[in-house]
Formats: sequence, structure tokens, C-alpha cells
Amino acid sequence: MIHADRTTKPVEPQPDRKLNDEGGPSKPDLNRPSAPNELLKRMKNVDPDQAKKYRQRSGE
Amino acid sequence: MRRILAGIETEYGFTIEGRGTNDQVEDAMALVRKSPNGCLRFWDYRFESPRKDLRGFEVDQLSIDPTDAVFDQGKAQLPATEIRSDHILPNGARFYNDHGHPEYATPECYGLKELARHDAAGEIWVTDCAQRLAEELHKTVRVYKNNSDYHGASYGTHESYLVPRSLGFQKLYEALVPLLVARPVLTGAGKTGFEGRSPCDFQMSQRADFFTEKASVDTLYRRPIFNTRDEPHAPPQSWIRLHVISGDANLMPTCTLRKVGLVKLALHLLEAGVCPKWEIPDPASAMAEVSRSTNSEGRIDLAGASWTTPRHILESYLLAAQPVVSTDPELSQLIDDCYSLLEARFDRPDDFIFQVDWAAKQWLLQQALEPGEGWNTTAQKSLDLQYHLLDPDEGLYTGLVAAGLVAHPSHQELAPLLVTPPSGRAKARGASVRLGPEITVAAGWSNLRLRTSRGEQDFALPPDADYPDALDGVSDVEELGAILNGL
Repeated sequence: MIHADRTTKPVEPQPDRKLNDEGGPSKPDLNRPSAPNELLKRMKNVDPDQAKKYRQRSGE
Repeated sequence: MRRILAGIETEYGFTIEGRGTNDQVEDAMALVRKSPNGCLRFWDYRFESPRKDLRGFEVDQLSIDPTDAVFDQGKAQLPATEIRSDHILPNGARFYNDHGHPEYATPECYGLKELARHDAAGEIWVTDCAQRLAEELHKTVRVYKNNSDYHGASYGTHESYLVPRSLGFQKLYEALVPLLVARPVLTGAGKTGFEGRSPCDFQMSQRADFFTEKASVDTLYRRPIFNTRDEPHAPPQSWIRLHVISGDANLMPTCTLRKVGLVKLALHLLEAGVCPKWEIPDPASAMAEVSRSTNSEGRIDLAGASWTTPRHILESYLLAAQPVVSTDPELSQLIDDCYSLLEARFDRPDDFIFQVDWAAKQWLLQQALEPGEGWNTTAQKSLDLQYHLLDPDEGLYTGLVAAGLVAHPSHQELAPLLVTPPSGRAKARGASVRLGPEITVAAGWSNLRLRTSRGEQDFALPPDADYPDALDGVSDVEELGAILNGL
């Protein structure tokens, strides 16, 4: 199986850049409700490594 | 006002226990071939031309991802038709293997809600096929409606819009590109991390990192914001099929509706000659920046050292479109909804989060973060992937639906759409599927070849004709031929 990473390294690293530093108007995060227990349980059951194993071919 | 015919094609991600990317083409073929009886198992390629460019030339070959080019080296190549494993469904949709992904192309629709529901019905078709394959192999098969593998591979969700050729490339480019750059604010499916562009924790769009060009005919590599493929699926002297490749696969049908509706607004504005003018010198970078502005209004650099926000661009289209589409209730409602969402985004987030895929995913994944824990981890990406899993018991989007936080049509509402063509020329294709392969010799988007009492005959399916409801009850080829000859 081929598992080499593609050319996904950042092309222009911007170490000083922060999420709210785009220069456009920004607003703070607001308090948000929490997820129901059933949904949190689903999240706990997710294999934490599945994204590492998930490989696909490029499509269109 | 002209009704605009549109469709959506989605390449699904999928995994089979113990298998990998080297096997993906064979596995996609196997999955597609689990389609039930009652389909036509071919496609007419006579009128397909993916290398033709709207700007008046044809390229020798399309660019391909060099990583993918090595997968099949040394393997015996099957005939292309075998690999594609084409199926035409009773509703006029197409299902096939496209570059190792099961691809569901909806039947073409006029209505926004109608198309969003057909797109959602496609999920049922794909997961049912996956279930049958899993039972045969005794292995777990998982289907994901997404566009990225977090390792640099992307696969598409494309939209098609029928537009008059008289509009031409330049006007279409100028009208569409600003909207496509700004659209992820209201339509993105969300992604943890980044692939190939500047670092970020979470972004609005699955696809934004995969675009590098302004305009080109390519779709597999060096992808453009504006795709110039000239394959109209209609009489080429009259029509263009605008092929939009920059959008995400949405789980929320309301997002799918909005994604298509916004493009239709731009097309109506262009046809009315009142489209807002925004000049974005580097639209690919601009879209990536918009995608990263999850906590701010964002910034889009314009020509002449000026800048604006995606919200300003979107509102300019909404404002201009109000009088133009006032006779269309669905598009008028879309405008009201988009205004409300843009206003709610920061001031009333509850009214925004559960209407937009990226915001719902971000809200959900935030719940999993421990204090001080970062976003850009494999565990967070694994949760991100789980959002897209089409499994009613394990998926996170389906979990939002089960919790009553997001509205999604039920299986009972969607399943009938798989055997019922929408209004328009899909009705004729659906009739040909019912008549079966003994009668239907070839079929595509724009044509049928039928075995009649006078021998094999070609019938054109003009995209803008009125297709009568009588097509739904056609039971013999002479009746179908008579209707098609009378269009």
C-alpha cells in the first residue's frame, strides 16, 4: 500500500498569523450550548486514530 | 424569468476493512455493481468531451495528481466501460465509479428543494450498495460524504447549471468568481486542519485548500476556481453547462439548497445585466482566506489595493437579486434566509450553527476539546471524519439529526425519489430505464437510442423542452418515441 504524504506542507508558513488577525472586522466567540449526552457518547466511541488511516485517491 | 436546470454529482469517500488505496478502483467498481436490478447498466459517451475548453480550444490531456498516477502502474487495465461500471437509475440519475470513488449524479432538476432532496436521496442509494457489499464480503464498509482525506487527496462535489452559450466565458467568470469565493461562509462543510495552504485549526471549506488556478479545464490537479470544461450535455450551439467544482459535499440539505441557489442568483443577475462587479486578483488564495475566517468577518483582497469581506460580497448579490427574482418564491425565500443567516452569525449563533454544516461541525468538535488541547490533532480530525460518516448510529451529522438539532428529511420521504424522476428531461431517461435494455440501446444526459418497430432510432432530449407527466406512465417504446418526437 502507498502511504506517502502528498505535497501538503504549508507553502507559505505565517507564524505570526492568528485566527483573528485577518485584518477584517472580527467579533469574539460567544457562549454556546453544549451537546446532548447521547451525542457526546457517540464522539467518545470514535476511533481517535481513524483519520490517520483514512486514505483516498484524488478525484475530480 | 428563465428556469435554470441544475444537478449535483458527488464522489463519495469509502473504506473497506483490510483494503486500501491500491484497491480503491476495484472496490469502487464492486460497490457500484451492488446497485439493485431495475437499472440500465451502460452510459452513452458519444457526446462527452471533458477536454474541450469554453475558451475555444481542446487540451491534449487533463492534468492528473502525480501521487495517484503510480497506483495502477503494472496493473492490467480493464476497458474504461468496465471500470466505470455505469448505472442509470429509475429516477434518471447516474451512478458509476469515477477515479475510484462511487459517484452519484442526481437527475437534473429545476427546483432548489427538489435538487437538495435528490442529492440527499443519493446517500441512501450509496449506503444501500455499501451494505450489500459488506454482507457479501463479511467486512465493514463505511461511506463518507466528504471531499478530503486530510492527507492531500481531494475528490469532488460538482454542480452543473444549464446556461445560454451567448453569455460567454468572460461574463460568466466575472459574475461567478466573487460569489464562489465568498460562498463557503454560508455553505462550507467544514474541515479540521489544512492541506497545502497556510496553517489553521479549523476552516469552513473542505475544498478551499485544493485550488490554485483562476480558470482552467482541469479538475483532478491544479484545480481552478472557475472550471472551463465545455461539455454542455445539450445542443452546443445554444448551451453551456456551467461546471462548478469549488463547492463542498453538504450533509445538510438546507446547505445544498443554498449552495445551488446562490449560483442561480448570480446567473439570473448576469442574464439581467445587473450583476455586482468585484475584481479579485487571486481568487484561489482569497477563497482559502475566507475559509479560514471562522471567527471573524474575514477579508478578501480586491484589485487596486482595496479589500472587502465575504459578507459584503454576498449581500451585494442578495440585494441586486431581490427585484430580479421577485416572481420566484423559492429564490426570494433563499434571499431572506441568507440575509438572516449573515445577521445571525455573530449576534444569534444558535440561529446560524444548526443551519450551516461547518458551524455545526465546529460547535460539535469544540465539545470534545479538553482545556488547553489544540485542534490540529489526529483525534480532532477523526471526529471531523466521523461527521461525514453516513451511518445513522455512528455518524456525527446523523447524531445531530437524531438529537433533533438539525432538520433532515426522513428515509420515508427520500426513498421514493430514487424511483421517481423530477420534472424535466429526467422523466424521459426514467421512462427508458423502465422499458429496460431490450428497448433502450443507449442513454446519456442529452439523448436516448431506442429499439423501435422501425429499427434503432436516436432521440434528442432538449434540456429546455416541456416533458409531460405522461412520461411517468409510458409502457411501450412507440408511446415514448411519439412523446419525444412531439417535444
